[in-house]
Parts: sequence; C-alpha cells; structure tokens
Amino acid sequence: MYSVILTELGISVFNEEKLERAFAFSNNVKEYLLVKSKEAKLNELINYLFSVQRGFAVSDESLLAILKKNNVDCQIMDDSKLEIVQASKPQIIVDSGFASNPQDALGKLREFALGLSSSKITEVSESPDLHIIQAINSLDEIDKIANALSSRLREWYGLHFPELDNIIDSINGYAQIVIAGKRESLTKQTFEDAGFPESKVEMLSLISSKSRGGDISDVNLSIVQSIAKQILDFHDLRKKLEEHVESEMQTIAPNLSAILGTAVGARILGRAGSLKRMASLPASTIQVLGAEKALFRSLKTGSQPPKHGLLFQHAMVHAAPRWQRGKIARAVAAKAVIAARVDVYGEGLNETLLEKLNVRVEEIGKKYENPTEKDIRSPQSFRRDKGNFRDNFRGQRREGGDRRREGGDRRREGDRRREGGDRRREGGDRRREGGDRRREGDRGREGGDRGREGGRGREGGDRGREGGRGREGDRGREGGRGREGGDRKREEGHNYERSDSNKKRKRFGRK
Amino acid sequence: MDESNQLYFWIKSEGEKKLATENLVPGNQVYKEKLIIKRGTEYRLWDAFRSKLAASIMNGLNDFPFENKTKVLYLGASTGTTVSHISDIVGPSGIIFAVEHASRVARDFLDRVATHRKNIMPILQDARRPKEYFSVFGKVDVVYVDIAQPDQTQIAINNCEMFLKKGGYFFLVIKTRSIDVTKAPKKIIYEEIEKLKEKFDILQSIDLHPYDKDHAMVVAIYRD
Repeated sequence: MYSVILTELGISVFNEEKLERAFAFSNNVKEYLLVKSKEAKLNELINYLFSVQRGFAVSDESLLAILKKNNVDCQIMDDSKLEIVQASKPQIIVDSGFASNPQDALGKLREFALGLSSSKITEVSESPDLHIIQAINSLDEIDKIANALSSRLREWYGLHFPELDNIIDSINGYAQIVIAGKRESLTKQTFEDAGFPESKVEMLSLISSKSRGGDISDVNLSIVQSIAKQILDFHDLRKKLEEHVESEMQTIAPNLSAILGTAVGARILGRAGSLKRMASLPASTIQVLGAEKALFRSLKTGSQPPKHGLLFQHAMVHAAPRWQRGKIARAVAAKAVIAARVDVYGEGLNETLLEKLNVRVEEIGKKYENPTEKDIRSPQSFRRDKGNFRDNFRGQRREGGDRRREGGDRRREGDRRREGGDRRREGGDRRREGGDRRREGDRGREGGDRGREGGRGREGGDRGREGGRGREGDRGREGGRGREGGDRKREEGHNYERSDSNKKRKRFGRK
Repeated sequence: MDESNQLYFWIKSEGEKKLATENLVPGNQVYKEKLIIKRGTEYRLWDAFRSKLAASIMNGLNDFPFENKTKVLYLGASTGTTVSHISDIVGPSGIIFAVEHASRVARDFLDRVATHRKNIMPILQDARRPKEYFSVFGKVDVVYVDIAQPDQTQIAINNCEMFLKKGGYFFLVIKTRSIDVTKAPKKIIYEEIEKLKEKFDILQSIDLHPYDKDHAMVVAIYRD
C-alpha cells in the first residue's frame, strides 16, 4: 500500500518506508492553505498517482477529498499509522528532501508556522467590518471629546461674553462667533454668516453691546479661538465619519442596516466583535448587548433582567411606550440577527425582514396598547425571586445581607461626608456669584480652588470627603460635648442628605 | 539571588525577592518587564500579576515540569507573557507549540514573542479543532491550558488525548467567571476537577488569589 502524506512543506508519496516521489511546495503557506481549502489543483501529483495505479492511504482529509474528486482510488490512513506520521513528521520532511536534517526541518516548520499565522492575521485585518467598528468607535469618542471641549469653550469665552451661552444652543454657531473675535468686533454680519435667523441677530447685537462680561486679553482670546476651531474641525470629521459608516454599512451589511439603521447597527457590530461573530450570536444576546452590567447583576442576584442594551437607541424601541420596549427590543433583536446572517452567508437585500418586523411591532403596539398593572408598578417594588442563584448562594447571600446591614451602619457614620455636601453647596453659591452656572468640570476646578484656599492641596475629586474631614476636625476642637454633638451632627447631615444624594445620582447618570 | 533550581530564580529587586527567568534573547523585553543583569547573565522579572504560572509558583506550586528541552503545548497563548517565560526555561532545544485563536492578541504575540524566540511555533488556530493544527509533531511533555471558555475543560481534554504523552503533565487554569457567573467559584473548580479525574491524576489545585480573582490552577498527570 502506498501512502500519500501531506506535510507543511510538500506532499510525499511513500511505499512503506521508502520514498517514491516528493512534491515540494514552492510557496508553502499559500499551497498548504489551498490544499486545506480543497481548492488545490495538484496536477503533477494526480498524474503520478494515476501512473502508479494502486490504492493509496492519504494522511489528510482535505487532500483525500481533492484526490477523490479526481477519481484517484484512495482512502484515509488508519489511526495508528496517522499517529506514526504525526510523531515522525520532521523525519518524513528530511526523507522527502524538503529539509537537509531534523534541525533544518524544525526551522522550516517554524518558518511555516510564522508565515501561516501572519497571513491569517493579515487576512482578518483586511475585513471591512473591523474598519467600520473602528470608525463608529472614533465617532463616539469624537462626540465625547467635542462635548467636553464645547463646555470648556462656553465656560472660557463666557468670562468675556456670558450672555451668549444661554442664547445659542448649537455649539457650531457658538464656535463661529468665538472665532469672529471679541464682543466689540461682532457685527450683524458675523451673526448672519453663522446662520442665525433675523430675530436672533437683532437680539445678539443688542446684547453684545451691553454685556456684563469682562475684557479678554489677546493671548487668551487666541487660545480660545483655537479651541473653537478644533471644535469646528471635529464637527467636520464627525460628519465625514458618519457618512463613511453609513456607506460602508450599506455595502457590507445592507440587511443589518435596514433593520437597525447604520449607526446602531455599527455600534452593535462593534460590541459583537465582527459581522461573522454577530451572525453566530443568539438574538437574546444582541438584545442586551451594552447592558452587560445589568445582565450580570440579574444573573447573580435575580433582579430584573435588562430589556435592552444598545438597542435602546433604535428608533422603534426608543419611541415606544415604556412597557412595550422590552417586547419591541426582542423582536428587533431577533430580526437583526437574521439580517446579520443574511449579510454574511446570503446575498443582497432581503426586504421581507423589515416588513415582518414592522408588522410585528404594530401588533405589539395594538396588543399592549395599555399598560398592565404590573407595568405601572415602579421597577424596584418587585423582584424576580426565582433566579438560580438561590441554591448556590444561600450561604453567601446571608453574608451579603449582613454586610449590607453593616453598610447601613457605616452610612450613618458617613453623615460626615454628607456634611461635606454643605461645603459643596457653599461652593455652588460662589459659583453662581461668578455667573458661572456650568456643570461638572467646574466643580472639579472649584474644588481645586477651595482646596488651595484651605491649604489642602488640589484634589477636586475628594472634595466632599475632605470637606467632611475638615468639619469633623472642627467638631473635635469644639470637643467634649459628646453625645449632644453627635446628635446634632446627625440632624445636620439629614438636612443635607437629599441635595447631596441627588447630586450623586446625577453624576452617576451622566457616566 | 537564589539558584537552588536552574529553572527559575529569585532575584532581589527593590528590596523584595522577585521571581525571574534567564532571558533567552538578551536585551529583548516582552511586556516591559524589568531586565536585571547579575554576574553577566540577564534575567527577566516574572510578574505574578500578569502570568498565572508565576502566580501559582508564588502560591506554592509543588511540581514544576518545565525543564530544559521540554516540549510544551500551550493553549491560549494570548500576548505571550507566560509563553515567553516558559520559552526562557525550556531553552533552545525545547519547543513550545503556542495556540491562539484571536487575531488581535496573536498580532502582538507574533511581534513581541514568536518572531524573536526560535523555540516557539505560533499556531493561529481554534483550540476546539486540534486536528487542524499545523507544524505540530509528536507528543508533548506538558500541556498548559489557559483559555477562558465555558467548555474549556473539555477542549483541554481533547487536546491532551491527541498530543500529551502518557505520564505527561497537565496544567489547567480555571477562570470560574467564564464558566458560569452564577455559580460559586469553589463549586465550579470542584466540578471541573471531577471531569478530569477520569483520565488524570490530580496533583494539586491552587487558588490564585490575590494575583487573580476567582481563578485556580489545576495540576494533573495524564494517566497511563
């Protein structure tokens, strides 16, 4: 029996232990992959095999399939022999003349492995969906950066022209005005060029003449103007990216774009990793992509599972009443996965998908027109108690409960921190005096200022706690009042609790 | 410096005794680890927070089968942190077949590790299909598995059946959070070990805390 053995460097034909013929690959990686994908021609080998006219045992299934297709009489090698071939591969390579000695064979095998691995990486890196993912991620990041920069611009230029902030909502128009220069040099023409309607132009020129803002030096102004220019550039870039994502999505994933829209589709694609991977995900996963935190919380503690993740951005889900959203998100996700599969394995645009989705969403809208009693209840008031956490977590849960109670105690201690809120409020007032009503970032800055005032270094972030500590210290100095003081403290803390926790929630919400 | 064994070393750095291996490719850094030259030999510090094998040494690993000339099959090479240290240890006549499926990390692995170290065979393949591996030959002495998959133990067993010699060592990193987030880590480790018992003798199971949370290393021997 002759054996035909596929190695990384070529194909050899052996008669028992003796080499009959060896066919070296000229380009290992490429030809090996061709054999593996069953697309290789292998004319020389096949002609030779025909000339020998015997049965052959073949070492590789893809090679076997190619030979069978060419009517060569062959079968797969039996396992024991395959194992021998596998174990003595370097020797076979040497015997076939693909390498001069076992050491050389090893080197060539490694070279092959490097080459093949590299070619696979190149292949993957070329796939267009990866570029879409990068584009949509850049887009989201640019949004973030431009937003932060915009509030900074409004803040800084606001020192010079505070009234402008409230009148102009679009950051684009604002930036254009900033670029035009100082308050005094703004003319009706500038406002018109920035694209504002007649009524607004009137108002703007009126206000600009009697603004409460201070003067701004040329050096400062030129920096502010650079920032404004950056923002406009970002705006252009964003537009370009948006169009790019749109057109790319239409070409590589037309069905997905039809169901989800290009932007949401691209974001979900990014979460999934690639179009192929998305096609292999279950619809239920797509439905909650982007809500991982809530999902795992639900799995662990048995709380309500999330209804939608990124899909919330989808127009159908977003526009629906709250109690229908989960159902609609489920329907959309189901169709989205099918769309992704059509995009990967099928061809062209399948219109029935969107039609069916529309029908289904309409059906949901009719059937669940009015919320049931359960839907009206606030989400916290009922918990799903049937999660499979119970059997495993009984012990630990109790612990958790205890901890929570401890946490409660700690929280009472934490009143101190809440007193910090008091300081923050002061800070807020001061801020308002400064005519500077803007959010977050300034809080940090203010904190820094205050910190310096108090000689406590520049940590805006820890301000709350710091403030608290300062307070406590004061109390300590007052000292010796013991319980009375403590009670007072609690009272005070209570007063400020509400405002502070509100603030906290707000901050988290933004994140 | 402690040279009680020649496989890995304890080197004093910044007042602490730290784990290190002798650098196979002097001057080459893989993950910005510190390079220390002592008596003319260059050593690379081995960060236990980044390599689970180092973490298990820190937490009292009993058997260390990686020696000079050892053949290793390594599943889940990732960016090659641990692989590079094993490559230091097995030396130029050892071989590591490093399997990794994700192309993003494989890119770094090839750039930083595989191209510089002649004893590594990079294999960009799914560990679920051991038949498709290329450039692999013979049986190996050690199989090391660090893949975060729900069915990782089964994948590992399949690979061992194909490539691990009888009596060879088997290292399995169990990341309990990838197997099931809802179950208790201890229970998962117990269950995974039970799956192994049919074909392996379990030598040790090491909790990798504090280096990795909810991870365990299981060391076993492939039964004859």
